[in-house]
Amino acid sequence: MSMECVVQGIIETQHVEALEILLQGLCGVQRERLRVHELCLKSGPNLGVVSSEVRLLCDLDQPEPTWTVKHVGGPMRGAGADQISVMVRTMIESKVSKNALRMFYALGYKLDHELLKVGFAFHFQRTAHISVSVSSVNKMPKVHAIDEAVPVTPGMQIVDVTAPATPENYSEVAAAVSSFCEFLAP
Amino acid sequence: MPVKWLLHWQPNQGSTFSSQILNEVTQSIESLNGVKEGTWKATLNYYKPMLQDQANQAEFPREFVGISLPEEPDKYYFVIRSQRIVVEADSSIQMIMESLQSYKCKLSFYFEGLEYQLGDFRLRVGKVVPTHAETIRGVVMEVEYLPISSVGMAKKLMEEFLEIWQEAMSKRSLPGKFVNKELNFEKFGLGDNYTPQHTAVGYAFFMANLMAAIQAGRG
Repeated sequence: MSMECVVQGIIETQHVEALEILLQGLCGVQRERLRVHELCLKSGPNLGVVSSEVRLLCDLDQPEPTWTVKHVGGPMRGAGADQISVMVRTMIESKVSKNALRMFYALGYKLDHELLKVGFAFHFQRTAHISVSVSSVNKMPKVHAIDEAVPVTPGMQIVDVTAPATPENYSEVAAAVSSFCEFLAP
Repeated sequence: MPVKWLLHWQPNQGSTFSSQILNEVTQSIESLNGVKEGTWKATLNYYKPMLQDQANQAEFPREFVGISLPEEPDKYYFVIRSQRIVVEADSSIQMIMESLQSYKCKLSFYFEGLEYQLGDFRLRVGKVVPTHAETIRGVVMEVEYLPISSVGMAKKLMEEFLEIWQEAMSKRSLPGKFVNKELNFEKFGLGDNYTPQHTAVGYAFFMANLMAAIQAGRG
């Protein structure tokens, strides 16, 4: 089973440059550009005993756009989860060829909403493989109109810190993510 | 990737499949000095939608298959023939489908048998069996021409091979013959350069033909 540890925060756009410098120093790796079209699909009525959601991510920063399918579970709950400050959830992803969206539509999935995330990311190793991204989240006035996307919350950007985990090591990974996030606290 | 043809075993009216056919085929390959290289196995899964109301079944694809191929152990392929869709994904897509619980695998088939090298050709002969049964439902033969990856360029050579092969098989007085059913890969958005997605489409059509033949036999 695949899992991930996640911490999310927000930052005012005016502080993004300073955060980038801080991250550059902390991570010790080159930053990467982030431009991802995220399509959130939901099963139509009647399909499945319970409704289901799946995300299609199109990385627009590549010379040829690449697609990933991602399924995210709900956050872990219970006494174990209460002791962890980081959100831990199941997460499975798979690279897919470009026909994936057509396939999910054919299977009865509908577009629930779509976003364009634009920003930058750092990927590095510190006990766990940690990714930090800082991005503006943009919505589209018309379906798939990426070029017309506008920020959902102008002046604010999202900070995502994630790390893949397994049922055997999620405690260590969560601790590594939590400890890294302490450096980012204002 | 080299061009591959999937040959269908077309039994004569009233005859059934048996392992004897497979034995005869492998003996034919060996009589042509084919060199045995090992075994192979592919899997095809039929998925059905989990519906709250069966009355709306027509809204969903009647045939949605998932295929794993031995040459791409980390990949998985989906084909929806009615919509001319083929998708290549990482094998983890199967876990995603299980988690979604919107479609479930209801029926699976193995294609398994022996692999041979015969000059510039790689041949795979296999039986088609349901995963939880022993009954041979069909015979498949993959013919791969190693030097060429262009579907168009390989056509003439493959036709010549098929003629030679059919002649070799006819000497064994078997109750059927191998045939090639030409596919329009362009309709699936696939180009002239052969890929595993072409193979996945080939297997989807192969099984559709086999299932139709089985149904016709029952009728």
